[in-house]
Parts: sequence; C-alpha cells; structure tokens
Amino acid sequence: MNQTTDRLRLAYFALATLVVVFAVYNAFAQGDHLGGDIGLAASSLGAAIAWFVHRRLAAKHVPARSLTDLRGDGHVDDKLFKLLAVGAATLVLLILGLIAVTMTNRALPVLRTMGIKFFTSSTWSEHDGVFGALPYIWGTIYTSAIAIVIAVPISLGVALYITQIAPVRLKKPLVYLIDLLAVVPSVVFGLWGVLALAPHLGRSFLTAGIILAIMITPIITSLAREVIETTAQADKEAAYALGATRWEMITAAVLPHSKGGLVGAVMLGLGRAMGETIAAALVIGSSPQIALSPFKSGDSMPAVIANQWGEASDLQKSALIALAVTLFVMTIVVNLVASRIVQRSLAKSRGVGG
Amino acid sequence: MTIPELSTSLDLRARPSWRRTKNTIMTVLLASTVVAIAIPLVLVMISVFAKGGKILFAHFPAFLTASIPPTRVAGPGMGPAVLGTLMTTGMATLIAVPLGVLGAIYLNEYGGQSRFARTVRFMSMVMTGVPSIVMGLFIYVVWTLHFRLQGFGGSLALACLMLPVVINAAEQMLRLVPNGLREASYALGATKARTIVTVVLPAAMSGIVSGSLLAIARAAGETAPLLFTIGAARVVNTSLFHGESTALSARIFENAKEAVVAAQDRGWGAALALVLLTFALTVIARVVTAIATRKR
Amino acid sequence: MKLWMGLLAVASLATASCDSGKKDQVGKTGSAGTTTTSGGAVAISGSGSTFQKAFQEVAMDAFIKSNGNVKITYGGGGSGKGRQDLADMVVDFAGTDSPFKDADKSKIKGGDVLYFPVLLGPIAVAYNVDGLSGKLQLSPDTIAKIFQGDIKKWNDPAIAADNAGAKLPSDDIVVVHRADGSGTTDNFTKFLDGASGGVWKLKSGSTVDWPKDTQAGQGNGGVAQAVKSTKGAIGYVDLSDAKAAGLIYANVKNQAGKFVEPTADTASAAGDGIDVKDDLTFSALNAKGDTSYPITYQSWVIVYAKQADPAKATALRDYLKFLLTDGQKQLSSLDFAPLPKSLQDKAVAQLSKIQG
Repeated sequence: MNQTTDRLRLAYFALATLVVVFAVYNAFAQGDHLGGDIGLAASSLGAAIAWFVHRRLAAKHVPARSLTDLRGDGHVDDKLFKLLAVGAATLVLLILGLIAVTMTNRALPVLRTMGIKFFTSSTWSEHDGVFGALPYIWGTIYTSAIAIVIAVPISLGVALYITQIAPVRLKKPLVYLIDLLAVVPSVVFGLWGVLALAPHLGRSFLTAGIILAIMITPIITSLAREVIETTAQADKEAAYALGATRWEMITAAVLPHSKGGLVGAVMLGLGRAMGETIAAALVIGSSPQIALSPFKSGDSMPAVIANQWGEASDLQKSALIALAVTLFVMTIVVNLVASRIVQRSLAKSRGVGG
Repeated sequence: MTIPELSTSLDLRARPSWRRTKNTIMTVLLASTVVAIAIPLVLVMISVFAKGGKILFAHFPAFLTASIPPTRVAGPGMGPAVLGTLMTTGMATLIAVPLGVLGAIYLNEYGGQSRFARTVRFMSMVMTGVPSIVMGLFIYVVWTLHFRLQGFGGSLALACLMLPVVINAAEQMLRLVPNGLREASYALGATKARTIVTVVLPAAMSGIVSGSLLAIARAAGETAPLLFTIGAARVVNTSLFHGESTALSARIFENAKEAVVAAQDRGWGAALALVLLTFALTVIARVVTAIATRKR
Repeated sequence: MKLWMGLLAVASLATASCDSGKKDQVGKTGSAGTTTTSGGAVAISGSGSTFQKAFQEVAMDAFIKSNGNVKITYGGGGSGKGRQDLADMVVDFAGTDSPFKDADKSKIKGGDVLYFPVLLGPIAVAYNVDGLSGKLQLSPDTIAKIFQGDIKKWNDPAIAADNAGAKLPSDDIVVVHRADGSGTTDNFTKFLDGASGGVWKLKSGSTVDWPKDTQAGQGNGGVAQAVKSTKGAIGYVDLSDAKAAGLIYANVKNQAGKFVEPTADTASAAGDGIDVKDDLTFSALNAKGDTSYPITYQSWVIVYAKQADPAKATALRDYLKFLLTDGQKQLSSLDFAPLPKSLQDKAVAQLSKIQG
C-alpha cells in the first residue's frame, strides 16, 4: 500500500508540474486565440485531475499534512520551503541583473553614435540625431545641490530640536508629524509647487530646488533623529557635569558621535532628490540650458525622460534610456557612499558602548 | 578673620556670559528651523485640504466613484483613478509582500552571513536606491512592449519598488525574534520550515505588517513608474489585464499640467484622496506596532 | 500539497487573464477571433494631438451614450506621439496635426494609413503682460523675431511698430514653446517659415531647436498653463485651449495685410480656400482672403486601411462617422471650426476604404 501511495504522490507531483509549466508557457507564448483557449482548457483539466488524485491520496488515510503539524519528518515540505525562500532572494538579483542588462543594452545605440560626447555635449536635438546630456546632468546636480543647501540646516536643526530641546510631551507628536509628512507623495508637492508656488517664483532651478528641499527634509530628519538618539547618555551627562551649556553639550557629545550618521542621512536625502521626477518636471521650466543663475529655467534627467518618452523615436528612446542609466549609476554611488558612512558610524557607536 | 577673596576662576556662580548668549541664540535658531519646515508643510496641507476638500467633500462620494469628465468640464469624478490606485497597489502588494517576506526569511534564517546572502542583502539595498522612473522604463521595456498598456504593468513596476523595502523591514523584524523561541521549537521536533512558519513568522508578524503598510503607502503615491505602463483611461476599468487603467498619482500629474481650473480642481481633490489614503495606511501601521508593543 | 494547489490555481488564473489581454494587435493578419474585453465590449484606443483632445473627449462621451458596448480612450501626448504609437501599432487610431514625414513612412508597420480630417482651428499667440493699454497686434516677422530670441523686451521697436501708440512695458519676454513633438509646433513654424519673409531661421518641424533661454510646456494645456502663470510670457496655443485657460491673445496680420482676431469664423474663412490632396491632406496656413486668420491649422485622425479585427474595424468606422457628422455640431462650443462641406463629404466617402 505504501508503494502505491508513493507512486500516486509522484504522479500527482508530475502532473501538477506539467500543468504549471504548460500554464506559464501559455501565458507567455505569442500564440493565437485558439491556442490560448486550448491552454486554458488543458490547465483546468489538469488541475481537475490533480485534485482528484489529491483526494484519492487523502482517501487512502494518509493524513493531509497541515503546515502547523509539528511532527518531525516533512523533508519534502522543508526542502520546498527553502527552495521558495532561496528563489525569492534570488529574484532580487535577477531583477537587478535584468535592469542592468536590458537598460545598458538599449542605451548602447546612442552611446555608439555619440561616444563620450554624450556626456559632454550640450546639444540635444531630435531631428539632427545629436544627443548631449550635459544640460540635464547639470540640472539634476544643480537642483539637488540647491535642495541640500536648503534642507540640511533645517532638517538637522529639527532633528536636534526634537531630540535635545523639545519638552518631552512635545516630542512624540513632533516625531509622529515628521513621519507622517515623509509619506506624503511627491506628486502632491509637485501639484502645490506648480499651482501655488510657481506663479509667484517662476519656473526655475530655484523653485525646483525648494520643492525638492521640502520633500526631502522629513526623510533626512527621521534618519538624523534615529542617529542622534544613539548618543550615549553618559557622554551627554559628562558634558553637563563639566559645566557645558546645552548647545555646548550638543557640539561636544552629540555631533562628534553622530557626524557619520548625519552625513549618511544627508546623502540618502540627496539620492532621493536626484531621482525625483514629478516635482522637477512640473516646475523646472523644461529648458535645456546650463546656467549659473538659480532663477533661470532648466531641465533635469528624470524630468526630460518623463516629458520626452511618449513620442521618442528609436534613437531618442535609446538616448533617454542612457540618461536613465546615468541617473541610476549616480544615485547608486550616492546611496553606496551614504550607507557605508552610516554603517561605519553605527559600528563605531556600538563599539564605544554606554 | 576675613574670608579670602574667591578668585574669579573658582567662582561657580552662574553669570551672564557670551556662552549663555550663544546657547540662547542656538536654541532660538533650532526652534526656528522647526518653524521653517512647518510653514511650507502647513501651506501645502492647507492647499490640499482646502482646495481638495472643496471638491471631494462637497461631492462625496460622487468624486470617488464617477467617471472622469472631459478636461474642461467642471465637476467631480476620479472614480477610475481611485479604483486604479487600489487595484494596482493591491496587486503590487500581493506580489511584493510574500516574495519580500520569503526573501527576508532566506536572508535571516538560511543565509546568515554567507557570501550569497551578503550579496543579496547588498543588492537589495542597491535596489532601494533605484529611481522610480528607471523602474518604470525597465518594466516598459520588458513587459509593456509585449503586453501593451495595462494596469498589471504598473503593478509590476510598483512591486519591484516595494520588494527591497519589504525585504529590509522584514529582515530586521525577523532578526529581533529571540533565538530561544526557535530552539524551543526545534526541541519539540519541528523542522526548520515549520519552525519558521509557525513560530518565527507570527512573532515578527506585527513588525512585518507595519513595515509592509509603509511600503504600500509609498507605492500608492508613486507616479513615474505608472506613466509609461498603465495608460490613461477615463472610465472605470475593472481589469488589470485588459485595456488601459489610470491611478490617482498619474491623474494628479496630468491635471497639474492643465491650464483649465476645472481640471486643476479635480487634481486637488485627487491629491487629497491620495494623501488621506497614505495617512490612513501609516496610521494603521503605527497602531499595529503600538498594539504589538503593548502586548509585550 | 496545499502549496502546489495554490500554485495551480494562480497559474490557471494567470493563463485565463493574460491570454486574451494581449491579442489587441491592429493589422496583424492571421489572428482569428474577436478582441473583446471581459464584458463583450470592443475597446479602441488612440493617442496624439492635444489640439483635438478636447473634441475627442466630448465626442467620445456623446458617442458612447448611443454605442454602449464600445470603450474608447484617447491619451493625448502630442502629434508626434500619436504618429509613433500608430506606426508601432500600439494604438488603433492617432490624432495628428501634420501628416507623416516621407522619411518616417518606412517605420509604419501596419501598411497603408488613411487620413480623416476632423476639424480646423486657429493657433493663438497668447501672452501674459501687465501694463498693456489694449490688445496686441503682431505681424509674422515680429512673431518670428520674438520666438527666435531676436526681440527680448516687450517695448521693442518692432512690437511698437505693429501697435502704433500703444503703451508697452519694459519687461523681459519669456518665450514658451512645446516640450513634446507637436503638430501645433509644426504648423506654427511652417507659418513663420512661409509668412515672415525670410526672418524665421529655426526651420519648421514637430520639434524645433528653440533658443536656450526659453521654457517649455507639455501639450497645448501645458503651454497655456505656463503662459498663464509666468509674467511676461508669450506662447503659441490653439485657440480652444487658450480660451479655456482664460488667456489673452494677439491679432495677427494675414496675407491681405489685415490684423485678424483668431475665432472659429476667421478659421472657417481660412478653410474655404484650401487645396485638398487625394489622400485628404492639406494645409490651411497663410490662407488668402481679408477675413482669414493666417495661423489656421487642421487635425486628422489616422487609421490603418487594413484592420485585422472586424469588431474593431466596425467600431472605428462608426466612431469616425460620428466625428465627421454629428460630432461636428460640438465643435463651435469648443471654439473649433467645422470642416467645409466638400471636405466633409470626401472624408465620409473615404470611410468605406477601411477594410476588415
């Protein structure tokens, strides 16, 4: 009887695998409608047969193993579970790899045509077939720089205020508020920027920078707050014991300890500002010029991708994808440096101990 | 006997000095930064609630169910967008959360510090930094070109954005589960898989749920990945696989570019709906965490 | 066990949904069966010209009232996008204000295309300037100089020459143009090419190499919004969108030397004398006649002649017929000009050429 049960189990698994493979293949095959209908019928039939076999197995008094059944030997389930977990983890590598491969592949045509001039030329002309990305790279860097210059003092100040100065009863609501504001979608800030702010300030690098600053401040503040709170209480009290005022305590105990983490938090905000599409696209003015004055209009990489993608010709699509790859690499570098700095500073603070 | 004059350096009486002034100045400056950030944020919220509320609450619930009128016609109607946001984000959640939790389970329970696990962890961190528009282009190239504009493409893009966030949050929660629980389960004869599913996962569940809710809130607000993948429907589309869809975030973007006040008003209304949705998700996440901590 | 059952269920569902969703390929010969969405309805999608977008939206809603089983979407995005989408067979019909360029014709994947004109309308030169004493009048060479950056301030002598005795402020001019590939841009620059007497140097096309210090908007609506919210701005917007946004626009000098205001009537006057080719393409720019508005242009709906899906072919024929007949009644309330009768008849006759 055991042999039959095992054979049935094997048959069931084989059938189930076949059905799944068939279904997946069918979903992706470029077949015609008739094939699709056959596929559906076959999958359903296979599923029905598999169900019958399953019932048959159950009827043979082999208890169906529920996952909460804690009795020992569940080798198949154990291996299956591990497979699933490994598979999910591999998915991350797969997706990232696919992104790298497909994007770079499609960026090659324009890079072959333009060579290094893609990054140094400031002419972007679709009907001449010339694509120079410099104005957009400049726009991204410039608006992010403006955003950082505005956001850093404010967000660090708020973080310090919340952690060191605010009365205890004010602390929790303030933290709640900041976290809530970090979740507001960027498109809402973009809407406000273009309808309420731009009519007064115009559409320029500065306006875009301000909107970005408003967006990244809650993010930097949240992170900075967490870093600052890891400061050892003993260090703070030591400073007070030596007669320091509160500000002196901050500069003596909190800032040196949190320096690394704060820099990391700022850079994470920078990465976010660089990748921001919507707010920039709406208020930056969409003019591909490299200008030093923040009151002039400009354009940024994600904004021009969003604006021009819809009707881009093949070479232009390749150019836009090349822009996307450039942006990707830039944000990755910033994020990597940021997390390295944060990790190092957290390790140091753990090493010092209370 | 006269008391000798205390030298000034030993006189510990507090006296006005530039140090105290400096402290006061910095305190005021720090407090002013809070005001500095509060002003624009309050202005934004006022605009959203006032302008959006005017159309959302005045025409409740028509605003959330009616079809989108032509651009120039005044009147409420964001039904397709509300449904679209819920459906695309919901499908993205169905894809990203189970996969993300499974991935985190691998990283924390099976992988540990092995080279493969460290690579996955690193790549997951890299993936959190991918700009959302790059993700949108990626899905356009591998999916939309073959399957045309449909809501599911947007879900895929959002899922790719959510996946590393869920993995991160879930892994941290799993790490917090004390080893003693696992060991007790093994002692009772459970296999690893059963231990994870029946002991570890329930223990970390509240944290995973709140982390996932925050990831969902972020995904609901994303615009760029949806721009090239879901299309621009103006009537309700109940299918993610047939035909174009739309979403609140995409509609807000479209209406932000219009000059007609009627369209702009609908944009504000949609913005309010989206903000309320993300707020609700965040608050629920916090409540879940609070309940869990109280239980402990 | 249970895991496999779950996987089976998901796989079957996926097969069921994915399967009929991707068969919407227009013009692919050999596909059998109707392309239907889950309700038994036919879905046709279009994209392109933002000039006709307002008309499309209103017409769509009116058409669906009497044809409930047809779902229509129109995505806008500019004439360039429409032509590209149709060439790639991503949409069923495209709205465009200018025909395919000869160089692009090789990229059209689905065979021959048919042009159906649907409306005429003026391009308004809209501006946002404080301190003007009245409406501006502009001649084509002044417009050319402004948009290519030769004239930088509002009180420039060339503008003063066109507006004898008017008070002009000394503010800077901010030029706003289209960011996307636009039939409006194409027609506007063609007009400047033809009418400015050699002054216009930037050539014509869906996209133009504008001077650097200018701003851009997405779609006619985007340009309208940019002009509306930027002091000292000037931009070209189709009249329908300009009026809907509440913009002020200039009177333009036509070939007969008269300064004409853009209205549906002056556009119709321009449409009377057009020279229509066999494929129903034409240009209404620079029309003769005292009352013609010189920057009048036109918009077509393009479809493939050979349709693979009979249900879609019928839907397209019905919708186009509506646009060409009953739909024309909607145009005047949107500040467009209807087609001249002879052109309308030719277009309706061309409907029979849609096979499928």
